[in-house]
Amino acid sequence: MSGADDRRVMLQLDEVYLSYHSSKATFDHGVHRVLDGVSLQLFEGETLGIIGRNGVGKTTMLRVMAGILAPNSGKVSQYPGKTSSLLTIGLGFKPDLSGRDNALLSAMLQGASKRQAKGYLEEIKAFSELGDSFEEPVKTYSSGMRSRLGFTTALISHVDILLIDEALSAGDAQFRGKAEAAMKERISGDQTVVFVSHMEGQVQKLCDRAIWLENGKVAAEGDTAEVLAGYQQLVKQAATKS
Amino acid sequence: MPPLQYASLMDTMARMNLRADASRYFFGYIWWVLEPLLYVAVFYVVFNVILDSRRLDFLAFLMCGKLAFIWFSKSVNQASNSILANRGLVGKINVPKTLFPLAVIQEGLYKQVTVFLLLFAVLLMYGYRPSATWLALVPIVGVNYLMIVACSLVGACLVCFMRDFSMVIGLMMIFLMFTSGIFWDVRALGDPAKTELLLAVNPLAFILDAYRQVLMYNQAPDWLHLGVVGIGSGAVCLIVGRAMHRGNQFLARRVLIS
Repeated sequence: MSGADDRRVMLQLDEVYLSYHSSKATFDHGVHRVLDGVSLQLFEGETLGIIGRNGVGKTTMLRVMAGILAPNSGKVSQYPGKTSSLLTIGLGFKPDLSGRDNALLSAMLQGASKRQAKGYLEEIKAFSELGDSFEEPVKTYSSGMRSRLGFTTALISHVDILLIDEALSAGDAQFRGKAEAAMKERISGDQTVVFVSHMEGQVQKLCDRAIWLENGKVAAEGDTAEVLAGYQQLVKQAATKS
Repeated sequence: MPPLQYASLMDTMARMNLRADASRYFFGYIWWVLEPLLYVAVFYVVFNVILDSRRLDFLAFLMCGKLAFIWFSKSVNQASNSILANRGLVGKINVPKTLFPLAVIQEGLYKQVTVFLLLFAVLLMYGYRPSATWLALVPIVGVNYLMIVACSLVGACLVCFMRDFSMVIGLMMIFLMFTSGIFWDVRALGDPAKTELLLAVNPLAFILDAYRQVLMYNQAPDWLHLGVVGIGSGAVCLIVGRAMHRGNQFLARRVLIS
């Protein structure tokens, strides 16, 4: 898989360490290593899956990739001029505001200008199938409606590198199908994507390449099926132990 | 983020906050003037009805000081906690962290425009007449704004660093309320040296006094003093703002992890 890659490297992590002191710990006790020497390359146009159990540093790694957090040591380099954005459901909705206002605010926070954001609104209204509820305060929404609004708003953002954190669990079965199809369409194009999940099925379906993260380290990297096989074995072992 | 987009995002956040806030209460936007008026009423009852202030112009005197002070204290208090309050957003997007306090300040600014209009109306009712001297309000309000931004940025950094500062800032505001001459006159302390010292040490006392000098006595403010406070506040804004820009990821880490 490697070697032959003459594709452009969009994002590269070199020996990235990230640790923090758990609260009120004294001196070196309580140092928690979230990322422990992670190196990886992300190539243009690929969909890279990151799989691992809860609490192994997946979200932190995405935050480092998105530039939200800086590592303690190591290097994060992004291809000059490219933007990356973390796509997460529900960019902190304000419950007292309408779906429309929330969508406008979310789109602007993701980097759209006010005019662009306003241009997205009808598209968001249509895709999310919220209808008249789009004008109602979000506090009146069911959780399914909320995630539909969140997913749609996030999907509209146009960025070079899309970092997705467990985004596909939106809404009911019908909407989930539609969301997955829309996501696939984005992914199959030129879009560079990093997709984080603990659901193997989604990773299997969507990703060209996968990385398995365990205790802040890269446990395996390469072909999606092979990486998933290793991961499944570990999960099974853990299940029989307990 | 380009400056124009930053400004437009900040303004949109402020307007959305105002709208959300208004929709939460039965009286909605009326609270913009009702809240400051109630504050004034409480102080009026305590310091003029119960404790005799021995001033005929006490209401005008009180409003000039109190309304500007509420602007300062509410803005600084809320802005200081704003980054922490938005920790959900901080974990999801890499935005300049100064955006959160500045949006809160912008929100306060919109409200304050209404409050100042109310203040002018009351002053006119009491027979105070605008003069050319009132133009001095423009730089005074400007310096007041710079003081709010400077204190808010410092406060926001401190709260990110240690949440406990939030308590301290709240207490500081109460301390300032008592020491800035809101319900008593800094110029009537009996000892001119004491007045000088207080105005020099507490810029807020100076600003509140400047409002009164202009609005009630048609006296221009001490320009040199105003300039020093303005430049000082501006310098703090620039230095802390730049530090926050450089330490953007550091602040995120403090908010998210510690």
